[in-house]
Amino acid sequence: MRSWLVCIDDTDDIGTKGTGEIAEEIAHLLSDNHLSRCAFVTRHQLYVHPDIPYTSHNSAMCFQVRTAKSQNEILEIAVAHLRSESAAAADPGIALLDLQHACDREALIAFGEQAKEEVKTKAQAYALAEQLGIHLSEHGGTGQGIIGALAGLGLRLQGNDGRIKGQFNLPGLEAGEVSLSVGEVIELTGVDRVLSDCGEQLCFKTPLYLSGKVKAVYRDHQVSLLVYEEQGRWRNALKQQLKHY
Amino acid sequence: MQQAFELRQGRWQLTLAEEDYGTSRQLAAGCDGFIADDEDEQVDDIERSCVNCARRRWLIDAIECTFL
Repeated sequence: MRSWLVCIDDTDDIGTKGTGEIAEEIAHLLSDNHLSRCAFVTRHQLYVHPDIPYTSHNSAMCFQVRTAKSQNEILEIAVAHLRSESAAAADPGIALLDLQHACDREALIAFGEQAKEEVKTKAQAYALAEQLGIHLSEHGGTGQGIIGALAGLGLRLQGNDGRIKGQFNLPGLEAGEVSLSVGEVIELTGVDRVLSDCGEQLCFKTPLYLSGKVKAVYRDHQVSLLVYEEQGRWRNALKQQLKHY
Repeated sequence: MQQAFELRQGRWQLTLAEEDYGTSRQLAAGCDGFIADDEDEQVDDIERSCVNCARRRWLIDAIECTFL
């Protein structure tokens, strides 16, 4: 069994299924219902600029999966789903990296970091993918999504970028505020750790006060629940704070 | 709404002050075109806010409204 990173971009349009949901569906299809083989999807924000033809936000979605399938089998499943679920007006792209494959990872990470700060072209993306031996393909429209797909791979590899797709359901949250220790939150959500907005990892016994949408970010290659201190209490980060991740 | 959004180079744009979404919420409250974007693409805890709308297009420190 091998581990792969899969990243897709530019699959949606206003009012259609989001790219994150499509990524999650592909992850489930590839993992043959063994949920432990595909833990979570990360969302990576890319550069926003009038010259880039994104619909509304320009983000890519990436996940890791362990599977015995070959690259061709993975692509057959992923591309079929991408084609069937992408919006008619979308420009979808997919990138696939075998994590056992030796390549210049720094170059891939650099491409991801650059795609957060400058306009990249399809030609640049294809050239790098070919140089690194990474699968990159487009599946409709202009195929512009290949740029974000490759960049998303790099940013996931880098390990310090993005938010985790979705939110955590905790007992009692729907009724308002819930108080749990860090240890309990880790047990209930499966996050790797609880991280303060100053970068401090909180110890297991620290009490947390959680409300609203509880979401995590990807930091130091770990799923990290972000919290901030308010009047002596640690609270889960608001969306306004998560925006920067 | 056009009073808050400014027409720049043919695009209706709203400049955003760092995490102050007060104007964004006020405008969305009275907008007939608001469509909530995916939860993962929202950045304001109050859902009905222009910055959470699927019809906004993010720019650096601003959003463009594609509905106006």
